[in-house]
Amino acid sequence: MRHGRLLIAVLLCAGLVISPSVWAASDVINIGFPIPLTGDNPDVGASSKNAAEMYLKKFPTVKVGAKTYKLNFIYEDNEFKAESAVKALTKLITEEEVLAVVGPQASAQAVPAGEIANNNATPMISPWSTNPNTTLNRPYVFRGCFLDPFQGPVAANFVTEELGAKKAAVLYDIASDYPKGLAEFFKQAFEKIHGPGSVVAFESFTTGDKDFSAQMANIVASGADVLFTPQYYSEVPLIVRAAKENGFNKPIMGSDSWGSGDLMGLCGDDCKGFYFSTHYAAAGARGATKAFIDEYTAAFGKTPDDVAALTWDSLGIMIQAIQNTGGLSGDLKADRTKVKDALASIKDYPGITGKMTFTPEGDPIKCAVVVKINEQGQFAFHKSVCP
Amino acid sequence: MTGTDQATVTRGLPAAVGRLLAGVPLLGWLLGFLAAVLVERTIGDTLAQTLGLPKMPVLFGILTVSKVIAEIINAVVKNTAFDPALLVHIPAALVYLSVVYLLPIAAVARLGARAANRAAAIMDRWNLTIPAAVHIGLMYLTLHIWAAMSDYRLITLKITLIAVLLTLSLNIINGYMGEFSCSHPGFMAVGAYMSSLFTVGLFVDDKVLGKALMPWALDFLTFPLALIFGGICASVAALLVAIPSFKTRGDYLAIISLAFLFIIKSLFENLQGLGGARGIAGQPDWAALPVIFVVVGLGIWSINNFVTSTYGKALNAVRDDELAAEAMTVNTRQAKMTAFLVGAFWAGIAGGLLAHVVRYINPAMFGIQKLAEVLAMVYFGGLNSVYGSIVGAVSISLLGEALRPLEILKWIIIPLMLILVMIYRPTGLVAFRDFDLREAMKPKTEPGQRK
Repeated sequence: MRHGRLLIAVLLCAGLVISPSVWAASDVINIGFPIPLTGDNPDVGASSKNAAEMYLKKFPTVKVGAKTYKLNFIYEDNEFKAESAVKALTKLITEEEVLAVVGPQASAQAVPAGEIANNNATPMISPWSTNPNTTLNRPYVFRGCFLDPFQGPVAANFVTEELGAKKAAVLYDIASDYPKGLAEFFKQAFEKIHGPGSVVAFESFTTGDKDFSAQMANIVASGADVLFTPQYYSEVPLIVRAAKENGFNKPIMGSDSWGSGDLMGLCGDDCKGFYFSTHYAAAGARGATKAFIDEYTAAFGKTPDDVAALTWDSLGIMIQAIQNTGGLSGDLKADRTKVKDALASIKDYPGITGKMTFTPEGDPIKCAVVVKINEQGQFAFHKSVCP
Repeated sequence: MTGTDQATVTRGLPAAVGRLLAGVPLLGWLLGFLAAVLVERTIGDTLAQTLGLPKMPVLFGILTVSKVIAEIINAVVKNTAFDPALLVHIPAALVYLSVVYLLPIAAVARLGARAANRAAAIMDRWNLTIPAAVHIGLMYLTLHIWAAMSDYRLITLKITLIAVLLTLSLNIINGYMGEFSCSHPGFMAVGAYMSSLFTVGLFVDDKVLGKALMPWALDFLTFPLALIFGGICASVAALLVAIPSFKTRGDYLAIISLAFLFIIKSLFENLQGLGGARGIAGQPDWAALPVIFVVVGLGIWSINNFVTSTYGKALNAVRDDELAAEAMTVNTRQAKMTAFLVGAFWAGIAGGLLAHVVRYINPAMFGIQKLAEVLAMVYFGGLNSVYGSIVGAVSISLLGEALRPLEILKWIIIPLMLILVMIYRPTGLVAFRDFDLREAMKPKTEPGQRK
């Protein structure tokens, strides 16, 4: 017992000696990342964390007003679950006392988490969430990507102007939220240009289907000039092969969901020559975008996907907002509101995925990029489309 | 502790502590916890600062410790920088835990044991409602003060309480009735969607469900109705699965109920009127801690009454031998059906509460992952036991939170614990234990003192 008591006494003294060094750390800016490090989609979390780590290595400090602060990033696992996202964000805000939050990525976590951020008056930017509810009526919540109501018309205009399409076909997954929404926005936009009935085939399937020959037969028979299919990278190869087998030789157009994951590994030569709209183009990038891609590839051994690029930009714009406040008071509540105001008033932030300006709703006005899958299997820049 | 326990353990520090704290009634423990949270509220921040902790440890210091361990693992595996000063956090958290929780609880429980026993003995003579109200009131007060110190504690506590209700409702079917049902998240989904339909549809302007149908200033008073509506809808859904599936037993019921879970999930994915895959957001913020506490309390009370009634005994008979039960005039079909509907009703209520805590639901929340979670809670805690459900739900939820910094390792540690429990206690930690409120509140005999 005596040893035990002695040990406690020594430890207490050690604590007192070391604690001043902990307390001196008040010139640190904490930024929270509620991201899915485990669960159904750990790749999304890994990409976000990689981008953030790279940022921290490059810019370990930030100068706000006259004072230089050390940046400290806190990653919290949200397990790709809604309840967990709520808990993780609450923990970041109340326990870790972060100044601002970058994440969560997917809408299923970003929508409930946005409510927590807004209630706690903490600025949050979700790099990847496309659900309108994420930022709706929440002044403290922003997002880093464009929304589907913008991407649909981008694709419709592109196939009209560049591919000369007059009749279009659409193939989409009716049970999945993102493809269904985008397919409808495309149809709306295309028929606005070419008149009602110009989308000659509007074919659907259900998540997990592997055989598309019935839909393809209809699409070929309809005489469409182009096929628009806003599906995920795992489904695209099957669709593209079904199209070839059924004799559909016209161009195929996709959406930003093509760009994540290992599309080329699964699709091979079949996908070459097709187009999709996305946030940025990896091949043929210039300037800051190229620097980002090169550094990321060197550090992590793979080309950054759109999650990584959008996280980088969301983090960058958040840091810019912190700098724009012109100085932090040290009172967390007041500083958070100051950062939110600064974030809302940033004009034309030069991100690697395009210039960003927020609408009053917290959604960015930014350009989309149309990329072509070239003969080397790279996603090459083809055209930039701005709202 | 009973006399035989004391006879077997007589040596060592744990035994000494055990002897010291024997004879403390439930009332004494509750007062001890109350004292501990009051101590934490008064000196928690100062003590944490003195000990060099960045902030008051939020989950009894476990979170603080696992954070340091995570840092060490990162430093070893990924070669990240490690600040040795962080190591102090581990003993600091332990000191904090002892000073703020263990010592006050032990002191108050020990010193107040005699008074608490006397009070418990007096209350024992009264109608059950009075001592029950005193105990539950004390428990709520303690939880309230504890949760008021941090929003993170509050949200964790809310979701844990809901998990308790859900686990208990599944225990009726998997524990008391002995069937393996997999459709519980489905019932929860029905409850969550229907109560959201009620509250969001009637009282909130929403993009998916349209304008508020009945804007009313005192709309929060209808929350119980919304929950009950969700629960009843879940029961009706359970009826749909019960009618065909109770012609089967064992594995077949598991498969049918699993299929039902997928049907419910894809139903909500395809119902565009309810938001489809995008779900419903913007539930009103009505699920405050007292509301959840009362609802979960009612749930535990009524489920406990149900399983200790003749119905519950009939269920146990059906579980042990259906033919024999039938021969002993138990209406097995009716018994199974009732249990299934009661279980689904409370699962629906739990779903309604969860929808209003998270304030967002989508079909993906009620998938196979949720099923694994609640099954783990039931089997970890113990079959056929109210205590077991509480222990299982609380320990899995708390561990899930406290080990969060360990990221992927968390998913190795928790399943490993589950495996160990399954090996050494195949029916769970506290299985087959009756929950008798009066027995629990009875005064205890102190050692060296005869009745």
